[in-house]
Amino acid sequence: MTTIESQTTSHLLDQHILADFIQHAGEIEHPREMIIDVLRAIQLHHGWVPDDGVELTAAILGLTPVEVEEIATFYDKIFRRPVGRFVIHLCDSVCCWTRGADEIAAHLQKTLNIEFGQTTADGLFTLLPSCCLGCCGIAPAVMIKQQFYGPLTPEKVDELIATLRQEGSA
Amino acid sequence: MLTLTIDNQTISIPAGKTILEAAEALGIMVPHFCYHKELGAVGSCRMCAVTVHTGPMPGVKMACLIAVEDGMVVTTGDETVATFRERVGEWLMLNHPHDCPVCDEGGECQLQEMTISSGHGIRRYQGGKGTYTNQDLGPFIAQEMNRCIQCYRCARTYKDYCGGRDFGVMGSRNRVFFGRFKDGMLESDFSGNLVDLCPTGVFTDRTFRFKSRAWDLEQADSVCPQCGVGCATIPGGRLRELQRVRSGDNPLVNTTFICDRGRFGSGYANHPERPRQARQEDQVVSVPAALTALETQIRATVKQHGPEAVLLVGSDRASLETNWLLQRTAKHFGCRVPVLNAHRQRHQTAQMAAFDLSERLASLQDIRSSDLVLVCGVDPLAEAPLLALALRQAVRKGGRVVLYDPRPVELPCDADRVAVSPLALQELLADGGVEGRHLRDLLSQAKNPMIVAGADLLGLAGLQNIQKWAEKTSNKERPCLVYPVLAGPNSFGTALLSLPEQDDLLTRLASGKVKMLVCVDADPLLEAPEGERFAAALTRLEQLVVLDYLPTSLSRHANLFIPTCPPVEDSGTFINNEGRLRRFQRVLKPGLSLARTAPGEHPPREFSLDTPGSDPQPAVLLLQRLIGQEQPLTEVHRQLVLEQPRLAALVSLKAGEAGVRVAPAVARPHSLDPLPEQPAQTLELVVTPARYGGDLFSRYAPKLEPRKRPPCFYLHPDELQAHGLKDGDAAVVETDFGSFTLPVRSQPDMALGCVLVENSEAFPQLIPGAGLGYCVISAGGANE
Amino acid sequence: MSQTTQLLFKNRVPGKTVFFKDFCANGGYQGLKTAIQTMSPLEIRDLVKAAALRGRGGAGFPTGVKWGFFPADKPGIKYLVCNCDEMEPGTYKDGVLLGADPHQLVEGMILSAFALQTQVGYIFIRYAYEKQAENLRRAIAEATQAGYLGKNILGSGFDFELHVHGSAGRYILGEETALLNGLEGIRPNPRLKPPFPAVRGLFGQPTTVNNVETIANIPHIVTGGAQWFKDLALTPDGSGTKLFGLSGHLNRTECFELPVGISLREVIETYGQGMWKNKQFKACLPGGASTPFLTREHLDVALDFASLEKIGSRFGTAGVTAFDDDTCMVAVTLNLIRFFARESCGWCTPCRDGLTMVRWILEMLESGQGTPEHLEMLKDQLKNISGKSFCALAEGAMGPVAGLLTHFEQEIVDHIKGGRCPFSK
Ligand SMILES: Cc1cc2nc3c(=O)[nH]c(=O)nc-3n(C[C@H](O)[C@H](O)[C@H](O)COP(=O)(O)O)c2cc1C
Ligand code: SF4
Ligand code: SF4
Ligand code: SF4
Ligand code: FES
Ligand code: FES
Repeated sequence: MTTIESQTTSHLLDQHILADFIQHAGEIEHPREMIIDVLRAIQLHHGWVPDDGVELTAAILGLTPVEVEEIATFYDKIFRRPVGRFVIHLCDSVCCWTRGADEIAAHLQKTLNIEFGQTTADGLFTLLPSCCLGCCGIAPAVMIKQQFYGPLTPEKVDELIATLRQEGSA
Repeated sequence: MLTLTIDNQTISIPAGKTILEAAEALGIMVPHFCYHKELGAVGSCRMCAVTVHTGPMPGVKMACLIAVEDGMVVTTGDETVATFRERVGEWLMLNHPHDCPVCDEGGECQLQEMTISSGHGIRRYQGGKGTYTNQDLGPFIAQEMNRCIQCYRCARTYKDYCGGRDFGVMGSRNRVFFGRFKDGMLESDFSGNLVDLCPTGVFTDRTFRFKSRAWDLEQADSVCPQCGVGCATIPGGRLRELQRVRSGDNPLVNTTFICDRGRFGSGYANHPERPRQARQEDQVVSVPAALTALETQIRATVKQHGPEAVLLVGSDRASLETNWLLQRTAKHFGCRVPVLNAHRQRHQTAQMAAFDLSERLASLQDIRSSDLVLVCGVDPLAEAPLLALALRQAVRKGGRVVLYDPRPVELPCDADRVAVSPLALQELLADGGVEGRHLRDLLSQAKNPMIVAGADLLGLAGLQNIQKWAEKTSNKERPCLVYPVLAGPNSFGTALLSLPEQDDLLTRLASGKVKMLVCVDADPLLEAPEGERFAAALTRLEQLVVLDYLPTSLSRHANLFIPTCPPVEDSGTFINNEGRLRRFQRVLKPGLSLARTAPGEHPPREFSLDTPGSDPQPAVLLLQRLIGQEQPLTEVHRQLVLEQPRLAALVSLKAGEAGVRVAPAVARPHSLDPLPEQPAQTLELVVTPARYGGDLFSRYAPKLEPRKRPPCFYLHPDELQAHGLKDGDAAVVETDFGSFTLPVRSQPDMALGCVLVENSEAFPQLIPGAGLGYCVISAGGANE
Repeated sequence: MSQTTQLLFKNRVPGKTVFFKDFCANGGYQGLKTAIQTMSPLEIRDLVKAAALRGRGGAGFPTGVKWGFFPADKPGIKYLVCNCDEMEPGTYKDGVLLGADPHQLVEGMILSAFALQTQVGYIFIRYAYEKQAENLRRAIAEATQAGYLGKNILGSGFDFELHVHGSAGRYILGEETALLNGLEGIRPNPRLKPPFPAVRGLFGQPTTVNNVETIANIPHIVTGGAQWFKDLALTPDGSGTKLFGLSGHLNRTECFELPVGISLREVIETYGQGMWKNKQFKACLPGGASTPFLTREHLDVALDFASLEKIGSRFGTAGVTAFDDDTCMVAVTLNLIRFFARESCGWCTPCRDGLTMVRWILEMLESGQGTPEHLEMLKDQLKNISGKSFCALAEGAMGPVAGLLTHFEQEIVDHIKGGRCPFSK
């Protein structure tokens, strides 16, 4: 087991949040229940969860790295590989599919010049397929930073990408 | 008892059993994967489907999950379930590479067997297959994930049963992966069980890779000689090389698990330095010539100097038969009784187990179902690894483990650990005041209390107190049982054979009357304390004779040496910690291995009528020849039982069986000596066997190298500070047995007031079990 | 469009979230007060049983019966867990409810906790519903402030603490025992049952898991009474209202609160405002991705648990996804199976590998490479996966396959005969 002291953590978590986690883990009976909370916090801070993020989570919660990895690799919204600044989760489930998700998928790949699972060269966008996002009423939809966008058309996609690009370069 | 019908056959079976178990009892094999009798049922593979025709919810059910009910009617071969199981076979094979011809599991693959028994034969799926990147899991275990069928047995073995925390299940859907967080040697001391428990060729014995096909192996039921637990093993060899060890199945002892020391520690049998020829002074001689010389010398010496002049020494790693034949030999030549264990204190504690505790011995099976185990003075992972697993199972079932020991004992389970010095532990057991009373109350109130007692650390006095505690906390409903942890595979047997009033080796040597010493499968230099006194006594001998199979320094110094066989090349009996007679059977004949050690290198090429290196003979046979009474083992057993009625079970004992307990003896009366005072200004000296290299066998097991640790003195950080030392410093420790220089290490989990050192090949000078010892530590010496 | 009784959506203003003040102004927390001050926990449980409320999470198990198994009087810690995983395609009603009116759930949780005598509650919420999670955290803070949560609620001596637990994706977390593992921080494979959560649930303690909508209904049952609640439904077997999330080829894909037992036709024509782009209705999933298709012949069927079971389908979550007659049903099924295969937790063989096989068969068929053997294989897979997996995920995955084979076998045959998908342009 790695200890927190032996790790550089500032790139992974805000130090106040880290302190809160350590305190909370010490107070509750089953610190394990915080695994997803800690992983999500690291991801929010760092963009994705690198190996030392898994090790830090383990150290905070008194677990071994593989005990955290077992969980981290189960969930598809925890990234164990680098992703771009904006991860675009495009819904490929049935309702979005009925409303033209395939077309949006093709358009996104063409516009960003990447395939699903890839990140744009400027590090801004990662494109991932996702199961139903829970906003089937506004199909076809994408989720970016836990916000839904839909119903999408190729034009709306262009606008969205443009806005995000601007946000990304600001 | 419940009565049910399976495939038109009726069976009565106790409640709580499953359909699968009931079917098995009827001889009906329901294919299954994820179920394993020790790991239990989890219902994931769905292979064991049967049809239940009765009850409120009839239909297809998993046989491993459903408890039998009275009047139940089950079919295992009807169309519905037969087809379903065939589909399960097909699904499991979707991603499976068809590499049976080159797969390391080939020949003992449960997947092959179950796929065939499921009826699946022809691949219909033509879609893509998943592939994985394998991990490097270290020198013991090879991983080939593409062969995985996701039965989850490995994780259940490693994590759940064995308590390992560096292995797990990753990913999901049809992409689950079983391995470590990162490449690296598996940390659990039970990692090898992955090999036995994985039903496919994912986890295989890396040390055995590319050596043999399973069906080419010579295998036999054996007993692990590497500690007193006496696990059932099935060693396998070929071309005169012992190539692997896997677990046997002894439900009362180790079930289907063994430790890595036993599995990967068998290199002594083929050690390149193993002495394979008889030698007289520096001349190689034939074994018959050596025996003749031995006989002549014994007769001459006895004749010239009297019965005291020839001393025969046995050991706790020699079989029951060997030790008994030593006694016969002594009688035959008119010598005094042999010393069966050169380590006096160990012999005495083993006699406590063999006589005084024999009515109340716990088995590992008892421990696995205990609700309270008090562990006193034992480091299970070093002294009796499978005991650690048994404790874990007790805890998994809701039991509690309370542990008193000076060492930083690691366990694969939760335990209430109290670090106490050996003297404090003796005091606790002798009276114990409030704490002692509290512990005895706990034992009295428990449903199934057990005490595990470390003979090395507690010594005779400690065990006598344990006996009292057990007596006091037993009641009419249930006894409080004791599991003594002894040092050798046959400590118990050796102790049982010898008379209690026997002198110890050093006293006999000190008398100056001994002219000739004959050590059989024994090396008192390495296996008994006071090595220096023993070494000095050796110089006064006229003849040192050694019969052994290990390349110890004693065998090199012998005037006359005759090679013997390790247990894998011999048949015989050990009696384990719990007083259970365990028979082992010969796996291989002795001989130099034909295995090539490097590409292009030739096997030994000598032209002789005999197999090269085949001179070693079992010690029993050598002794029989020496006294001119060659008899089959059965006859040896018959005579042995006449002398030792407690061993009546010997006659019908078979290898591969669970083994039978020796008949209990009546406890002897004891008088307890008061505890000695600790000399002023000293620290207590704790000598413990290393986990790897502590037992003599694993010192000659090259495969275990990666697990061995360099020797050092461990002290509590406060103690280090008090002595002006810091972690890594070199220190001199003066003991009754000499003064030694080693680095010191800080160990916060150990008791205060102690210096702890591991006995291993790198530090063989101090031997565990020598009783309470004291030392003085000071900075100094060169830092290594 | 006739005006139907609105319980759960009574405060809903599209685009806005109702918080404490407005919620209370419209009768919020009245049910809680009535219950805590005038009823015993057992009376509430009996009332819920009498109201014949059935679980809104998809399985439709009678809530009162489930609560009846709960050892409410057993001393020691017990848990109430709310399931807001909501990841089944076509299901988004809980998200809409919590986006509009989070206090509905908070009040329901407190009331249910009182009825079940649980001291700790968790709302397990999917990753994508971060906004809803925020709403809940605020609602919980407000309710705590008002003394509805925490120690000695409304002077009753009853304590209840409520936490929001965010997930990180994966449909299987919606299965209640997998959810409990997820909450505990262990691998979220479903658990072996028995023991059921009511006996050994979260952290080994008695636990009840209920859907968001189920729990949100409880205060309304308490205020309105069991008979009134039952009478809200249009069919005698039904009870209460239901949130219908409409999606697919409809003009209006929104979420409506409608009486249980409403006809499919009314849902499609009145609320969905007919088919998108003026096409014809061909089929729909009546209650989420795991429910067998309904077709034109079923338009007049009443949407409730019993009626749909009778015709071989399921009411599920009442997420109605409609398909027009230009839709290839093989392709729809393939899309659904891809979802299920990808979301399999990897525990049991029929799902982990069986769904892979089914997906491959459907891919062969849809791409025109299918043969009559593939059709036979599909039927055979359906027979062998249904009812034989460890949890209901694979079972649910077979729902659409069953529907496809019952109603659209000819479409498969056309694919095989034509060597291509007849709907592809
Ligand atoms: C694969 C799978 C996914 C499920 N997803 C959900 C879900 O997202 N929300 C939900 O409430 N129930 C879901 N369920 C049903 C739950 O297991 C459980 O029956 C339900 O939460 C009980 O609540 P209820 O009785 O109030 O409906 C799912 C079941 C399965 C098998
Ligand atoms: S690695 Fe072996 S034991 Fe583990 S799941 Fe795969 S087949 Fe089973
Ligand atoms: S526990 Fe002892 S007997 Fe068993 S395998 Fe290990 S060393 Fe051998
Ligand atoms: S059916 Fe089996 S593999 Fe699929 S989600 Fe359930 S338990 Fe997991
Ligand atoms: S199907 Fe795309 S959000 Fe539900
Ligand atoms: S053996 Fe019964 S389900 Fe695997």
